[in-house]
Amino acid sequence: MQKAVVANSANAPLLQQEVAVKAGRLTKVRPYLYVLPALLFFSAFFFIPILYIIYLSVFDWSLLNLEEMEWVGWQNYADLLSDADFHQVLLNTMLFTVATVVLGIGLSFLLALWLNQKRKLVAVVQASVFSPHIISLVSVSMLWMWLMDPQYGLLNALLEFIGLPAYTWLADTKSALLSLVLVSVWKVVGYNTIVFIAGLQSIPKDLYEAAALDRSTRWQTLRRITIPMLSPTLFFLLITNTISSFQVFDTISIMTQGGPVNSTNMLVYYIYEQGMDYYNGGLASAASVILLGLVGLLTVFHFWTMRKRVHYR
Amino acid sequence: MKKWNMSALACVVGLTALLTGCGSDKAATGGNAAAGSGQQSGTEQAQPVQIDFWYALGGKNGELIESMVKEFNDTHKDIVVKPAYQGDYYQNHAKVLAAISAGNQPDVTMVEVGSIGAFAEAKALEDLQPYAADTIDRYIPGLLGNSYWKDKLYAIPFNRSTPLLYLNRDMLKAAGLDPNGPKSWEELHEYAQKLTKSEGGKTSVYGFSTPIDIWFYEALVIESGGSILSEDGKQLAINSEAGKAPLEFWTNMIKEGVMKAPPGEKYNAWDVAKQDFVNQKVGMIFTSTGDLKGLSESAKFDVGAAFMPANKEYGAPTGGANLVILAKSPDAEKKAAWEFVKWMTDTPQSIKWSTQTGYMPVTKEAVESEEMKKYYETAPNFEVAVKQLEYAKARPMVPAYKEVQEIIMTELQRAVLNQATADEALQNAVDKSNKLLK
Repeated sequence: MQKAVVANSANAPLLQQEVAVKAGRLTKVRPYLYVLPALLFFSAFFFIPILYIIYLSVFDWSLLNLEEMEWVGWQNYADLLSDADFHQVLLNTMLFTVATVVLGIGLSFLLALWLNQKRKLVAVVQASVFSPHIISLVSVSMLWMWLMDPQYGLLNALLEFIGLPAYTWLADTKSALLSLVLVSVWKVVGYNTIVFIAGLQSIPKDLYEAAALDRSTRWQTLRRITIPMLSPTLFFLLITNTISSFQVFDTISIMTQGGPVNSTNMLVYYIYEQGMDYYNGGLASAASVILLGLVGLLTVFHFWTMRKRVHYR
Repeated sequence: MKKWNMSALACVVGLTALLTGCGSDKAATGGNAAAGSGQQSGTEQAQPVQIDFWYALGGKNGELIESMVKEFNDTHKDIVVKPAYQGDYYQNHAKVLAAISAGNQPDVTMVEVGSIGAFAEAKALEDLQPYAADTIDRYIPGLLGNSYWKDKLYAIPFNRSTPLLYLNRDMLKAAGLDPNGPKSWEELHEYAQKLTKSEGGKTSVYGFSTPIDIWFYEALVIESGGSILSEDGKQLAINSEAGKAPLEFWTNMIKEGVMKAPPGEKYNAWDVAKQDFVNQKVGMIFTSTGDLKGLSESAKFDVGAAFMPANKEYGAPTGGANLVILAKSPDAEKKAAWEFVKWMTDTPQSIKWSTQTGYMPVTKEAVESEEMKKYYETAPNFEVAVKQLEYAKARPMVPAYKEVQEIIMTELQRAVLNQATADEALQNAVDKSNKLLK
C-alpha cells in the first residue's frame, strides 16, 4: 500500500514531466507545422524547380525526347555567353527595364502628386489611368499593334494630323523596342499611381503643417518631406517594376515575336523560343538560370543601395 | 537514375501545365478518359475509343475541319474524335511539345511539313508503314516528299499547299496589263511598277507585296536554280548566286518603292499582306493556295491566281501540314487514329477539303475525279497549285531546320531593313546555320 502510494506520488510528477517534455517538443515542432503547407507549396513550385533547372542546364536535351539527355557541363553557358544574339537579348532586356522603370515610376509619381488632391476631375482621371492595369495584356497588345500600324494606324494618323512625320513604330529595329516600352509604361502607370497615392495619403498632415509654418517652399516640402516619407513605397515599386520588366513576355509574343532582327527579343521570350520553338532545352534552362541570377543580383543591389535612403516609420 | 530524372521532369512539367490553365487540364482528363477506354476496348466493345486531334487552322478552314470531324464521328460509332484548335503551326508545335513531355499528348495532330524531321528524329512520331501498306499508293507522289524521314513513313499529307502569285485582275486590266499575270521576275517587276500609285510623295497603292518569309524565299531560290541546303543537308547553300538573287530582287523593288514589305513578324506579316490585297492597297501578293477560298470570298474584285513567276525556271516548295500519330499513344488509340487519318485524307474528304479551302487534293483519284474537273472548269484558280506541283520541291526537313529557317528569316530581314548588304546577311546566316546543321 505504502509502496503503491509512493509509486503513485513519484509517478505523478514524472508523468507531468513527460507531458511537459512532449509539450516542449510540440512547441518546437509547432511553428514548422504551421509553415509546412506554405513550405510544401514553395518547394513544389519554387525551390525544387530552381534546383532542377540548374541541374537541367548542364545537359543537352529537348522536350520532344527526354530519354536522351546528354551531359555537356558548362557548355550551354559557354555557348550562350559567346553568342552575339544572346548579348543583344541581354542588352535589350537592360534597356527595356531601365526605360520602363524610370518612365513608369517617374510619370506615375508626377500623376500621383497631381491626383492627390480633392478635385472633381480627379476621380475620373484616377479611374481612367488605372483601367489599363485590369485589362488583359494580350488583347491590349493586339489593340496597340493596330494603333501602331505604320500605314493605317491611329497613332500615325494623329501624328500626321498635327503635322509631324509618320513614325515606324514596330516595323523598324530602331523604334520597336521603344514602342514596347511605351505599351509597358502605359500598362504600369495606373497601378504605380494608385500605390503612390496610398503612400502620399499616409504621410501625417502635421508634417506639412509644420513645414507651412516654417514657410518651406513647395520644392523643399517635396524634397525634404514627401520623397523621404514616400521612400518605402518608391522602393517597393522599384523592385516590383524591375522584376516584372525583366520578365516581359506577352507584348513581345503578340506584337513583335522578338523582331525585327532580334531588336525586341528579351530574356524570357528568348527562353521560350529556345525551349519551345527550337527544342534546345539545355540552352533554355541555362538562360533561365542566368535570368534568375540577374534578377537576384539586381534585387540585392537595390536593397544595398537603398538601405540608407529608405525611411521606415 | 535516368528514369528518375525523366519522371521528375515530367512531374515538374505536368505541375506547370496544371497551373497554366484549364486548357491543359482538360486535355489531361481527356487523355485519361481515352486511356481508360483503350484498356477496356479488349473486353467491352460497346465503349468507343476516344482520340484527341489537335489542328492549327483557324477561321473558315478551322470550321470545316470541325464539321469534317463531326461527320467522321457520326459515321464511325466505335471512335470519338475530339478536335481542338491550338493556334498557328508554331503554337501547335509548342503545345504538342509540352504535352508530349507531360504525357497528355494528342493522338493525332497536324505538323508543318518542314518540322516532320525534327519530330521524327526525336522519336515522337509513330512509324506509319505497317498501317499504310495498302493505302500509301493513293497519295500524289509529289506530296509525299515531306512524309518520310530516314526511309520510314511518319506523316500523311493533309492540308497541302504551294505558294502562288495572287492577282487583282481588275487592277491589272485597268493598268492595261495581261490579267493572267507576270510569268517571270522581270515581268513581275514591270507589273509592280505599273500598278504602284503615288499621290503627293505618298504611296497609296503598291504593285506588289510579300512577307519576307522563308517559304517564299525558298520558292525564289528554287526558281533561280539553287537549293537552300547542300545535298547532304549539312550545309546552308544560300551564299550563292541563287541565294542572293531573291534578296536583291526584293530589296531593289522595295528601294524603288514598288514593293511593300508588310510589317509584323511571322504570320502577322502574312495577315497584313492579305489584308492589303483585299483592301486593294496592293495589286499582287505571294501567299498560300490555302488562302484561295478565303481571299476570293472576301475580295470585291476579280481574284486571279498564277504560278510563282520564273527566274531561270518555274519552282516552288510544297507546304502546309501533314497528319501524324504520336508514338506515345496507347495501341488502341493508334489504331483508331489511323482510321481517322485514313478517312480525313481519303478521296471524298480530300475533294471536299480542296474545293472549300484552296488546299490541294492529296489523292491521285481526287485530282482525276469528275467532280474535281468540273470544279476546276468553274474555278480555274483552284487548279493552279496542282499544275505548279510539276515544278515543286519538298521543303528542307532536317531537324535543325526549325531553327535554321528562323536564322535565315532574321538575316533576310536585316538586309531588307538595310542593316546589312545581301552578302553580309547571307554569310551571317551560313555561319550561324552551319554550326547547327553539322
